[in-house]
Amino acid sequence: MTQAANPTGNDRGFLEGGKYPGLFGWIFSTDHKRIGLLYMYAIITAFIVGACLGLLIRLELIAPGETLMGAQTYNAVFTLHGVIMIFLFIIPGIPAAFGNIFLPLHIGAQDVAFPRLNLLSWWLYIIGAAMALASLFGGGGAPDTGWTFYVPFSLETSTNVSLAAFGVFTLGFSSILTGLNFIVTVHRLRAPGMTWRRLSLFVWALYSTNWVQVLATPILGITVALIVLERIFGAGLFDPTMGGDPIMYQHLFWIYSHPAVYIMVLPAMGVVSEIIPVFSRKPMFGYVAVAVSSLSIAAFGSLVWGHHMFTSGMSDTAILVFSFLTFIVAIPSAIKVFNWVATLYKGSISLAPPMLYALSFIILFSIGGLTGLVLGSAATDIHVHDTYFVVGHFHYVMFGGTGFAFFGAMHYWFPKIYGRMYNMRVATIAWAFLFVGFNILYFSMKLVGLRGMPRRYYDYVPEYTTLNVVATVGSWVMAIGLITMFVNIFVGMRRGAPAGDNPWKSATLEWTLSSPPPAENFEKEPVVTHGPYDYQEAGLL
Amino acid sequence: MNPQLVTTTEAVDPVFMLIFGISLVMLVGITTVMIYFIVKYHHSKHPRPTSQVRYNVPLEIIWTVLPTLIVLGMFYYGWAGYLALRNVPEDALTVKTTGRMWSWTFEYENGKISDKLYVPVGRPIKVTLYSEDVLHSFFVPAFRVKRDLVPGQPQYAWFVAPEEGSYDIFCAEYCGRGHSDMITTVEAVPPEEFQDWLAEKPAAGKQAQCEQLFQKHGCLGCHSLDGSQKVGPTFQGLWGKEVRVTSDGAERTVTADADYIRRSIIDPNAEIVKGFSATMPSFEGRIPEDELETMIDCFKPEAEDGGQAAGAQGEELFLKEGCIGCHSRDGTEKTGPTFKGLYGKEVTIMRDGEEMTVTADEDYLERSIEDPQAEIVKGYPSIMPDVDLTQEQIDALVDYIKTLK
Repeated sequence: MTQAANPTGNDRGFLEGGKYPGLFGWIFSTDHKRIGLLYMYAIITAFIVGACLGLLIRLELIAPGETLMGAQTYNAVFTLHGVIMIFLFIIPGIPAAFGNIFLPLHIGAQDVAFPRLNLLSWWLYIIGAAMALASLFGGGGAPDTGWTFYVPFSLETSTNVSLAAFGVFTLGFSSILTGLNFIVTVHRLRAPGMTWRRLSLFVWALYSTNWVQVLATPILGITVALIVLERIFGAGLFDPTMGGDPIMYQHLFWIYSHPAVYIMVLPAMGVVSEIIPVFSRKPMFGYVAVAVSSLSIAAFGSLVWGHHMFTSGMSDTAILVFSFLTFIVAIPSAIKVFNWVATLYKGSISLAPPMLYALSFIILFSIGGLTGLVLGSAATDIHVHDTYFVVGHFHYVMFGGTGFAFFGAMHYWFPKIYGRMYNMRVATIAWAFLFVGFNILYFSMKLVGLRGMPRRYYDYVPEYTTLNVVATVGSWVMAIGLITMFVNIFVGMRRGAPAGDNPWKSATLEWTLSSPPPAENFEKEPVVTHGPYDYQEAGLL
Repeated sequence: MNPQLVTTTEAVDPVFMLIFGISLVMLVGITTVMIYFIVKYHHSKHPRPTSQVRYNVPLEIIWTVLPTLIVLGMFYYGWAGYLALRNVPEDALTVKTTGRMWSWTFEYENGKISDKLYVPVGRPIKVTLYSEDVLHSFFVPAFRVKRDLVPGQPQYAWFVAPEEGSYDIFCAEYCGRGHSDMITTVEAVPPEEFQDWLAEKPAAGKQAQCEQLFQKHGCLGCHSLDGSQKVGPTFQGLWGKEVRVTSDGAERTVTADADYIRRSIIDPNAEIVKGFSATMPSFEGRIPEDELETMIDCFKPEAEDGGQAAGAQGEELFLKEGCIGCHSRDGTEKTGPTFKGLYGKEVTIMRDGEEMTVTADEDYLERSIEDPQAEIVKGYPSIMPDVDLTQEQIDALVDYIKTLK
């Protein structure tokens, strides 16, 4: 490539060349950075589709009665919104995209431990996604069960549940293999001097997540496989008329799907722990406490699934235990929040776009987490369970938490991946729209839920109209923010100014490389002499 | 009213207040400190960090122990409130509550059935919860109670309505297409009024009986009686209508007769009316045979069966005069032609030794009863005796035959 076609003046690093020409050089590449980018493009595409469906849901709910679509279509739309956002965006989100690109760089490795397995994971993701999409068109129509596939409804409905469930099964394998790959990578491929105490908190968070992925995802696989067995062969495991137990299904489902919440949010916490020290010019406060809290969230988070089932008919003893454990898991999350805020103390803070996303993560995650206490408490959960309060709550933690952290990671690592910089002012404006729209949308949901509006309602009683209108308007404000953000990122990718190798003056290893990083990462194995946030020792202050 | 009684709302709301209160203090605290740091240590005013502190053990201990104590307190109050929701007061009135896609039925101890939950003000109500098909959830926001209806596993919940009024009951567990229509109300009325209501016998007459049955089996959740569009086709004007259905992937037209209605209840997904989807659960074995027959009868318009009395009289004659010996009502071949679907049919007969085709209209039916030997249906023996009936009785019998579609 000539200099003229390369305005950054830098080497185009891993973005250039490859084993095969053109597209094949990407979809058959075993380079962790290319696989990470493939994931990122696929995940962002899934997010955009999911967001459009979300906007359609809000539009339908702007008034009681039929506005835009019939009840059956609406049920399919919210099911698809959930399946896409959870299985295609937020679970793989940060680990598969940014984890793939930066985990090996953070520990000074050439690649992940099993590069070809890594490529297989991406292919499984694409195949699973294709199956989920195909379920819309074949057979009895788009699945209408909600992403939870609760029995006996999911056994009785004539829609295409089996194919969608099999898609989820396949996506599960993608997740398990990525988790396994990363665990081995962290154990075996750390550079000399990269002790456990010098691991970045992003790596600690990923490492905790990976254990949950490996241990919990097989249970999801088994559960959806049982659904398929039940639908095709009438196995009678969950169908009460055949001696099965619908509540057992809920246990199996949530044994995975609650820990999955931590698969989603732990990497996001890792991202925030990267961004805050860099933009405060201070080491992360309470490094050990934050690393240990990641591990204890992973451990306790695996034991609290029953709090999704307080009204299900589960025994009161189980409710006692699950309510208790749910409150315990709130503690490590609180510890993280306190340590992030303490990191700001006596720093030198700049409010660049990544920092804005990280700080809004703290606020939105706190609102989400604190409203979660109402859901952990047995008495209050009974009232708000399965209402819009829950919908508001999990959008605060999942979108306000993980979603905002994903955007923060995107803005933080953008100059490293592309060697260019996006327009900071536009990025800040986009963030403001997102933040404001987000709160209008999801806070209204919490209020309408507290007043009793059940979730998954196509139609509602007139007294809930005002709050629903406000929420829908909020969704438009947020849509403006999202469009602005993605356009800005896209323009920055094509025409952004050269960013330099370390624009944020960060002390983790990826910033010692050129931007974009060379295909083979480190020219010779790096020897690590300081921690990930030791700006003084690294001479960056 | 019992002054000692703590309502479910009174048991739950203080826990909300406690948790929201503490949460608000914590949220405001965190946000304030954060904003204070951001303003005070902004790089424009504070170009270099003045500390590189990495940890502070006393601080870490404080902010681990303090939240632990707070959440344990919340856990305790939450649990205590929950126990109040589970412990039903002894004097509670039990109402059997059944949910199915997509309607509610409430049955009182004296057998009275209603689609609204009538309760006396101030008396604890225990609802025992049964589902006929998939998961549902009984949710009354005003009383902070919710409990899932699990097929095969009876559940319960209780509440007390402290004031007169109408309170929404929602289904809170997603159950398909009609989920958000699965709404009814708690009607809290003064105790005396409730007693009167409870003692009230269901209105007599065919229409009232029909509505009662439709209500009992939850038909009206999806089918209207007044022609309005719901999840399923309306019942209005259904009888005798030509219906476009899809069965086994092929479209065809069927007449909505007794047989069709029976099939639609027992095996609803075998024939799906065009424009609707296969969402109705089968009611096979869920409706006793006598109730099923009455329900099918309900579809017959008043005018056609000449009102309940005439219809009944016609049927009585049909049974008593012995027509049933040779003519079936259900299409079965007997000595004589079946009455099922006879009215309006083209029949080939022999009259005066000549074969001809006539339409089985009222006149023809009347002639065949009065003078059975004059016209003999092709393929049947000429053995029907003369019957001695008044004109009125013949009319009733003809009317009855007309209903046998």
